[in-house]
Amino acid sequence: MRRLSGKWSRYAKLTLPLWVGLILAGLAWFLLPFAPPTLTTIDIGIFGLVLGLSIRNTAVFAFLLGFFITGVILFVRYWDKRRADEAHTLYADFVEDAQQKRRHFLRRLDHEIKNPLTGLRAALVNLREAQAADERSQAGQNADKAVERLTRLLTDLRKLADLDERPIERYAVNVPDLLEDVVDAARAIPAYEGRSISLLIPKIPSPFPMLTGDRDLLVLAVYNLVENALKFTSANDSVEVRAMEDGRAIVIEVADSGAGIAFDDLSKIFDELYRGTNARSTEGSGLGLALVNRIAILHGGGCGVRSSQTEPRGTVFSLRLPRR
Amino acid sequence: MSLNRSTILLADDDPTIADSLAPFLERAGFHVLVVSDGITALDKAQAHHPELIILDVLMPRMDGRETLRRLRKLNIWTPTILLTQVGEASERALALEEGADDYLNKPFDPHELLARIRAVLRRARPGERSLSTAWLLTAGELVLDRRARRATLAGETVELTPKALAVLEYLMTHPDEAISRERLLDVVWGWEYPTGTRTVDTRMAELRRALDDDPSEPRFIETIPSEGYRFIASVHGEG
Repeated sequence: MRRLSGKWSRYAKLTLPLWVGLILAGLAWFLLPFAPPTLTTIDIGIFGLVLGLSIRNTAVFAFLLGFFITGVILFVRYWDKRRADEAHTLYADFVEDAQQKRRHFLRRLDHEIKNPLTGLRAALVNLREAQAADERSQAGQNADKAVERLTRLLTDLRKLADLDERPIERYAVNVPDLLEDVVDAARAIPAYEGRSISLLIPKIPSPFPMLTGDRDLLVLAVYNLVENALKFTSANDSVEVRAMEDGRAIVIEVADSGAGIAFDDLSKIFDELYRGTNARSTEGSGLGLALVNRIAILHGGGCGVRSSQTEPRGTVFSLRLPRR
Repeated sequence: MSLNRSTILLADDDPTIADSLAPFLERAGFHVLVVSDGITALDKAQAHHPELIILDVLMPRMDGRETLRRLRKLNIWTPTILLTQVGEASERALALEEGADDYLNKPFDPHELLARIRAVLRRARPGERSLSTAWLLTAGELVLDRRARRATLAGETVELTPKALAVLEYLMTHPDEAISRERLLDVVWGWEYPTGTRTVDTRMAELRRALDDDPSEPRFIETIPSEGYRFIASVHGEG
């Protein structure tokens, strides 16, 4: 019996620090929410105080070790919690931002649908009530116009949705050739006949480096930029389409000598359905630049804008597309 | 003029569409049966033997695709036009896979639907399977395996981008028919591109190069000035 208890006490002395450590670690787990970070300092203080006493006393040493382990665990858990809180705050900000963007988008969408729909209803009333043939024909034309506007909005919304869903093609694209196609197409728009659109392609290195990407989408992006440039400038202004390369990326710029974009609008014009102060009355779905941005991102690049309403005046949209 | 007495089965669950399209098609001279779900469409197709079926994709009880699949399984090869929904890019490819003779993206102009109906009816040979339902299309040395998404010319694989292959597929399933660039844009690209006609021309040039087809003396694809393109070789379908 005495031998047994002697043996037990030897084991106990050896393993006690471990047991106490585990029990206190368990306690710390539950107490963590209430544990102030200063506790670790107190722990270390007690650790130092009792260290001298503990040299000859295993039990004190065990408690000391237990306190120390508790302290370390509390400290680690505290930092973990703090890091998690920070991440959570970031995430909450992100969600809040996304929700706000969504609310803005819905409000703008509501506005974009409301107008042509109101026009359509008025046209239908006129169509029903008007007696004169020319009035009826005018009503029919107005209805067509409203439908056209709604269709354009829907088409652009579908394009945006499609871009998220379908994989893009990745084939070699000849940039000068692509820009020529876009400029030719823009020159052929009846509303902008006779407008000055110039195309600048560097001659060296020759030939201009190829790009890997989806030609159709890139055409759409550049065309949207050129059409925008024409839309927001007057007949006397000129538009330049130019390409550059810096070894790693190809930069396509569409510049115009128009009135420029208000500083407050610059950061928001790539948002879906956002309309700048000078774009409220201009035709369009309000999704063009959002599409351009999405296409640039899908190609691993991005787009930007710089604009000034004072001298030197003008607006430059740029598409930066990595070659690989 | 016998075309104009044909019976059309129109399946669309949206009354604003069915109620307006039916009188429009009646005015164009067709006899129109309207149903609002896939199961009824399946029953009516078996009971009334329409000359043509128009199926909306999203419908209650059974969607348009499933309806079409079951029709084909029942050995009913009635020409079918699928009305696809906005925003589903893969749907166009699927529509072809399931043996639709043509398809149209909503929203569409009713006159466009009428044009497609007439083209499909002109091409149809009653009781026979159309090329749109065949997996393997052969035109001389050119073979298109639609399941494997591969074309071969005299046994050699033809290197094509997915878009060019889809253009070839649409042309080969609609041989001898003048197909406008706008229509190719609608069915292959799904949404019109600003430089639309050029986009089509670029792919057509790629296709011709790959098929070694001389535009001035075409074996396969003929250009119809100010109209579009036509696949001129005779096409044979299998499987």
